[in-house]
Amino acid sequence: MGEDVDRAPYLGGKIRLLSEEQIGTIDRTARSVLAKTGIRVGDERSAEILADAGANVTKDRRVMFPERVIDGALETTPSRVLLHGRGGIPPLDLGGRRVYLGTGGAAIRVLDLEDGRARDPGLADLADIAWLVEHLDNIHFFLRPVVARDVPSEILDVCKFYACLANTRKHVMGSANSPETARDVIELAALIAGGMEALVEKPIISFVTSWMVSPLALDLAACNVLTAVVERGIPVALSSAPIAGSTAPATLAGLLAQAHAEQLSGIVLAQTVRKGAPVLYGPVPAVADFHTMGYAGGAIESALLNAACVQLAHSIGVPVYSDAGLTDSKLPDVQAGYEKGMNILLIALAGGNYIHHSAGMLESMLAVAYEQYVIDNDINGMALRALRGIAVSPETLAEEVIAAVGPGGNFLTQSHTLRHIRTDEYFVPTTADRQGRSAWEDVGSFDARERAREIAKGILARPRTRFIPSAVDRQIRDRFDLKRCGV
Amino acid sequence: MIDAIKQAVLEGDRDKVVELTAAALGAGTQPKEILDRALTPAMDIVGEEYERGDRYVPEMLISAEAMKGAMAQLKPLLADAGVEPRGRVVIGTVEGDLHDIGKDLVAMMLEGAGFEVTDLGVEVTADAFVEAVRDRGPNILAMSALLTTTMTYMPTVVDALNGAGLRDRVKVIVGGAPVTQEFADRIGADGYAPDAASAVKLAAALA
Repeated sequence: MGEDVDRAPYLGGKIRLLSEEQIGTIDRTARSVLAKTGIRVGDERSAEILADAGANVTKDRRVMFPERVIDGALETTPSRVLLHGRGGIPPLDLGGRRVYLGTGGAAIRVLDLEDGRARDPGLADLADIAWLVEHLDNIHFFLRPVVARDVPSEILDVCKFYACLANTRKHVMGSANSPETARDVIELAALIAGGMEALVEKPIISFVTSWMVSPLALDLAACNVLTAVVERGIPVALSSAPIAGSTAPATLAGLLAQAHAEQLSGIVLAQTVRKGAPVLYGPVPAVADFHTMGYAGGAIESALLNAACVQLAHSIGVPVYSDAGLTDSKLPDVQAGYEKGMNILLIALAGGNYIHHSAGMLESMLAVAYEQYVIDNDINGMALRALRGIAVSPETLAEEVIAAVGPGGNFLTQSHTLRHIRTDEYFVPTTADRQGRSAWEDVGSFDARERAREIAKGILARPRTRFIPSAVDRQIRDRFDLKRCGV
Repeated sequence: MIDAIKQAVLEGDRDKVVELTAAALGAGTQPKEILDRALTPAMDIVGEEYERGDRYVPEMLISAEAMKGAMAQLKPLLADAGVEPRGRVVIGTVEGDLHDIGKDLVAMMLEGAGFEVTDLGVEVTADAFVEAVRDRGPNILAMSALLTTTMTYMPTVVDALNGAGLRDRVKVIVGGAPVTQEFADRIGADGYAPDAASAVKLAAALA
């Protein structure tokens, strides 16, 4: 591993909601669930794979997992996964307590930047959001955030990955509808990465598969995608989204036990397909709103669940695909601000490695807004600043400076001050207003949303750089009919 | 006795509802009276409480379950007496989608409201919907989808109904997290409801 990955990562693990004893209890319960209740598989192939691994498969395709099978799989699961960007973007070094924040979602609505109206997103929105995120420093990776609804579904996967990779150098993650389209996407990425070997060595893309329908049932189609991706050595996040009270017990601990069991079963599946396969432990838990039974992404209990899942992943030494940044609000308002602020800070402090949904999301996972990316870039920045904590050294203690200024003086023009005010000591938000009232009124009395919209418009108006070299682009176009999706 | 049944439905106590219903029938109470004066009014209150925000979905469902306990006893008797259900509904989650909770919720509430419900399950193809409409002659076809990727199958079902010449024989209603009124209008459905309680109202209006 190169030196560049060791450069000052943000470290979480600063909040521990669960004690070691509680983690042990949850882990034991999850293993007991897998041994006694098991999971349901939908097809012969998954059943065979798991039987080969030593799991007990019943006639009705219920699969029970003995402890040794789980432990065996955990032994071969990498504790560190590197996801790469391009063009000097440092890799995401996932594992341990290292924290990265990025986008997420497969939203079906975007709030128009001009009039705020909720409308269908198209491929152009995906490209624009990628370009926006390219320029927002506190968003570290790009998980395809919207479903481009103007692209025929059979060519959507290749087109969406192309649109992402053409407009940002940050690591791109997405889903695939079928094993065939997953293979197409891998082929596309290999062309950009300089061959299949180069891609596996430095994956510039990865996949997320919703391989599990909670509670404890495998999704046949997604499992086939999972298998196809794992076979090729490309990293994959094991996403399952149990909801307390509907697809998991109504109590938080019960959900955690089930979610952990689901994740362990996915790890066994992946490691059986390919020993050493890079996977991310990926529960996306939430509580239900019991009035709608909807996914309450912005609830504080959902944040607690996600923070606890970080600890469960840490306890088995598998990098974690975490979830923060959801809100149930329909627009970038006060609710969006307090829900996101709470959950992003909490999950970052817990030490989520790959925290997705952490920019742009609204309406739980159903909508995004351009200006919300700019706002969340600030929320992420504040969380990352919190992770850095307070540096204490002779230089930062500044005893000599205190002596030099003495009682009653000020520190404004001290060289020590000038040395530190433009460093990591301070995070400077882009959307917050800290002026006096009259100065704020003079520039139009705008709120943070308005300021964020202006910033987003400014970035989108910049001349575009295409991040796929033209020679490679021609190769891609020879292989894939990109004209069909209008790019 | 009628009041006690109603109360037991409100409390979601299925065992008690079953017991009291059997006792009432044994004592000569007419099945229609139990339905009209205990069960339906109880479920009306449940629906109102839900709409006011005083009742959560699980608390609504447990009442619907209790009501079903009584209906199991009443159904054959009502049929013998020639009492027609409020309407007939065929319901299912569309092809490619395994999510059944929302669909089950609507089915349960419809049954609780006196509809006869045929549940086709999940991953229901257009052909299966068409066949069920042809065989069962429902007033209402209800479709559910949770995924943005599967809701796009709903117009396929509407097209299939058109192709089979059955579209004007049945009202089509749609629901599920990503579905909206606008989407329902666009695909030519007759109605959309955002939750199970309003689905019952919608079905009652359309049946």
